[in-house]
Amino acid sequence: MRLPAPRETVPLLLVAAIAAILPVFGSDYYLGVGFALFGWIALVQSWTIVSGLAGYISLGHVVFAGIGGYVLVLTWGAVPVWAGAVLGALAAGLFALLVGLPVLRVRGPYFVILTFGLAEFAKYVVINIENALGKFGRLILGGPQVETLYWAMAAAALAGTLAVIATRRVRLGAGLAAVREDELAAETIGVPTVRFKLFAFALSALLPGFVGALFVLRTGYFEPAQAFDPVISFTIVTMAIIGGSEDARGPVLGALFLVVLSELLWASFPQVYMIILGALLIGFVLFAPNGVAGLLDRLRSTGGARAAT
Amino acid sequence: MEFLLSGQLLVAALIIGSIYGLVALGLNLIYGTMRLLNIAHGDLVMIGAYTGYWLFTLAAISPVLAMLAAGALAGLTGAALYFGLFRRQLTGSQPIERIEANSLLIFFGISIIIQNLTALAFTASPRTYQALDTLVRIGEVSIAQSRLVALAVCLGLSAAIVLFLRFSALGLSIRALIQHRTASRIVGIDVDRVQAFPFVLGLAGTLIGVTEQISPFMGFPFTIVAFVVIILGGLGNLAGGIAAGMVLGLIETYGVALTSANLRSVLIYGVFILVLILRPEGLLQRRRLT
Repeated sequence: MRLPAPRETVPLLLVAAIAAILPVFGSDYYLGVGFALFGWIALVQSWTIVSGLAGYISLGHVVFAGIGGYVLVLTWGAVPVWAGAVLGALAAGLFALLVGLPVLRVRGPYFVILTFGLAEFAKYVVINIENALGKFGRLILGGPQVETLYWAMAAAALAGTLAVIATRRVRLGAGLAAVREDELAAETIGVPTVRFKLFAFALSALLPGFVGALFVLRTGYFEPAQAFDPVISFTIVTMAIIGGSEDARGPVLGALFLVVLSELLWASFPQVYMIILGALLIGFVLFAPNGVAGLLDRLRSTGGARAAT
Repeated sequence: MEFLLSGQLLVAALIIGSIYGLVALGLNLIYGTMRLLNIAHGDLVMIGAYTGYWLFTLAAISPVLAMLAAGALAGLTGAALYFGLFRRQLTGSQPIERIEANSLLIFFGISIIIQNLTALAFTASPRTYQALDTLVRIGEVSIAQSRLVALAVCLGLSAAIVLFLRFSALGLSIRALIQHRTASRIVGIDVDRVQAFPFVLGLAGTLIGVTEQISPFMGFPFTIVAFVVIILGGLGNLAGGIAAGMVLGLIETYGVALTSANLRSVLIYGVFILVLILRPEGLLQRRRLT
């Protein structure tokens, strides 16, 4: 077994440290912020598996969170709470497996808009099902305490971070990188591209399903337009671009940055927050395509070069 | 089921179809010539709708005139985006796949910025206004004047653009550009000259704004629709795109009439997903030199 590199240990330690520190303040506000932060970290890490490592940029990752949340409310009362959340994760993974084969045949920018369309399609289907059932939002009463949810979400963030680190270490990660660089060449030299892509897609759907279920438990109700809100997908992509999606550091940095920004701005200036988000997305794509993590690497390598001369 | 045969429904479908056709024509020209997936496309439509709204509300200017101003504004916005952000990318040395993926993300950022700036300036609440709302009777069908104007302008403008591109030298060079991007670059066709085409979006936007609700977030559905239409009609096939717009208008109007208005989005996104999955090569295909 290879010894862990800093790019592996740093994000893990960062998540663990934040998880340990926030409860010290003893206020529900910090637990709430931490809950959101870990939720985003888990989402962006999951996204990184298929979109960062394999280069299939998904602009519809909210669909998995929405499915997870929907399964949780559907099974509410019928199964224990945590079983419902796990079922939500499994349902999201299953959905990814089912749609993955045709969807992953579509490449490049078309995959991006296709995933967006798929998520919107699922949203309107669920809205119509709920309307037909005569449900306009569902309330969840008596869910777990904030603190319980906090620790569950911290575990999800750690699991997501570990998943990216582990994927990069095994054959799957090398295969996905080959797909990203040149899919045709990868296939020619015998990388099982279809199987790898499908597996990565399903893997990247599991945790978002769980996170979506926790989001519903936290807010106490389920409303399809909110659970499948495309802004969630957009935020995931922006966090990944800002942080970088080469390895497990980027998602942690990107999520941390935007969660702090949103705490400062979202409540009072939601539109200003969105405009800054858009500007950051454009700026990073144009000038720092590898995100903050890439900038740090560049800084370190130029610093090292200067020291050597 | 008798209502399905009514002329009223058919005219409604034709109006929607002609608007879709014109909006998609704009995307066909821009995507076709630059291979940039402009998902801020619909936001230029939105800008046109607001221009019409404010000119009418503040200065009582008829939408028929306002749409010219809206066209100019949308054309300028489109050109500014091109010269400000994308020209350097296109002439750079990056591989085309990289440019496509990047341009999509950049356009997405632009779309978010345009929408939220509009929401910031004019609030996010939807608006409507009453202009050109006298009813015109043609046989058994009665339609608002505004919808009749929309139908006439969209069809007329689409036809004019198609004919222009078919018979003028600039038109030929643009079509050559769509069909053989690299080859036409080698023989010296200038991409910069098509940058004014977003003006049709402003025009269409004003017409849409008279007939439908205006909101900062109204544009995205039109982007989706435009993509469906140009995939159905074939990239670079301008007349085919207009026909496909009509087909989509018919599918939507009759689909909704048969089921319910709630299913409109399911229908549109359903068609969107199907065409992308079944015919991704319709858009992806790079025509080889033969």
